[in-house]
Amino acid sequence: MTKYLRTGLILFAICAVCTALCALVNEVTAPAIAVNVESERLDALDAVSHGYEIGEQMEGSGNISYVIPLYENGSVAGYIAQMLTSGYGGEMTVIASYSTDGTVLEAQMMANSETPGLGKKAEEDWYMDMFRGHGAETPIPLSKSELSSEDAAAVSGASITFGGVSSAIHEGSEYVKSLGGSL
Amino acid sequence: MSHMKELTKGLFKENPTFIIMLGMCPTLGVSTQVSNAIGMGLSVIFVLTCSNVFISLCRRIIPDAVRIPCYIVIIASFVTIVEMVLHAYVPAIYEALGVYLPLIVVNCIILGRAEAFAGKNGVLDSALDGIGMGIGFTMSLSLIALIREVIGSGTITLFPIGSFSGVITLPVISDSPVRVLTLAAGALLLMGYLKAFFQWKTARGKEVKA
Repeated sequence: MTKYLRTGLILFAICAVCTALCALVNEVTAPAIAVNVESERLDALDAVSHGYEIGEQMEGSGNISYVIPLYENGSVAGYIAQMLTSGYGGEMTVIASYSTDGTVLEAQMMANSETPGLGKKAEEDWYMDMFRGHGAETPIPLSKSELSSEDAAAVSGASITFGGVSSAIHEGSEYVKSLGGSL
Repeated sequence: MSHMKELTKGLFKENPTFIIMLGMCPTLGVSTQVSNAIGMGLSVIFVLTCSNVFISLCRRIIPDAVRIPCYIVIIASFVTIVEMVLHAYVPAIYEALGVYLPLIVVNCIILGRAEAFAGKNGVLDSALDGIGMGIGFTMSLSLIALIREVIGSGTITLFPIGSFSGVITLPVISDSPVRVLTLAAGALLLMGYLKAFFQWKTARGKEVKA
């Protein structure tokens, strides 16, 4: 009994020291990490804004973290929405801009833990070509069978990532449609 | 003299990548660009050295029955520290290393050296073993990345400094690169050729001595 207790206590002590070390480093690095994350977010907003003026952030609903109206000559021309979804490696964040009728203008994959060479391809610009221009007259492809053979081959091996990204972009499109161009 | 041996053995004689064949997953996954290889290598040197020192310090108090969980906790903590530091101060490397960074926790080199060396030897020797093995791993990774990037993309990606963008584009090769080398299949092929070369060098060295 004493042997087990001693073993447990040693394991606990090692865990406690390691946790304290991590906590200390976290305390030092957390502000710099927050600055980096915010800077990445602002860069992404700028990249998907499609040349429109970026408005004030509003709260979204469900998997949509927030929505930002895009203005052209003072009137609402579209929206940027940030969606949370899940892929093969866990939670993913997708940011996309839409015109008021729900057509995808631009999209970008943000934080994710997808596999390099497979799901990580979603970070590349060509990946979002599969969604650009869809959402209003032409539906957003939600499965590989709705893609061209070339695109289906490109996402092959990372179907879960594709499913996560496409459903997030679709959800954003539907939400933007429900806003109907009003703030 | 024996301390020096602990430091240098990981460079060639017991090179973790080409001789002991440890840490193949990150070697094949990260060696697409020279900058990624250097970033990964430096992270491994830090984690390997720190975990070796910590494990060596605690080797007399860690019970044999729970030594592996203890090693994993210690290694995971140092990997978490590296992850936080890179995310805060070198975000480009943090992004490039992606999932391979947390995977250092299960990198066979780290646990292998903890089990085979640090758990049985003194602090100084363990630190030198960690540094030597880490440098050996970094050199191998950088060599593979250099060959893959030069032949596969016609570029050498380093770190941006001032007006230097960090990317050196090589004329002629960049116009018609051998793309297969940037893919996983190319990495395996190259790994095979390099392993054969090191095997030949080792065997030749033994013959000369005999």
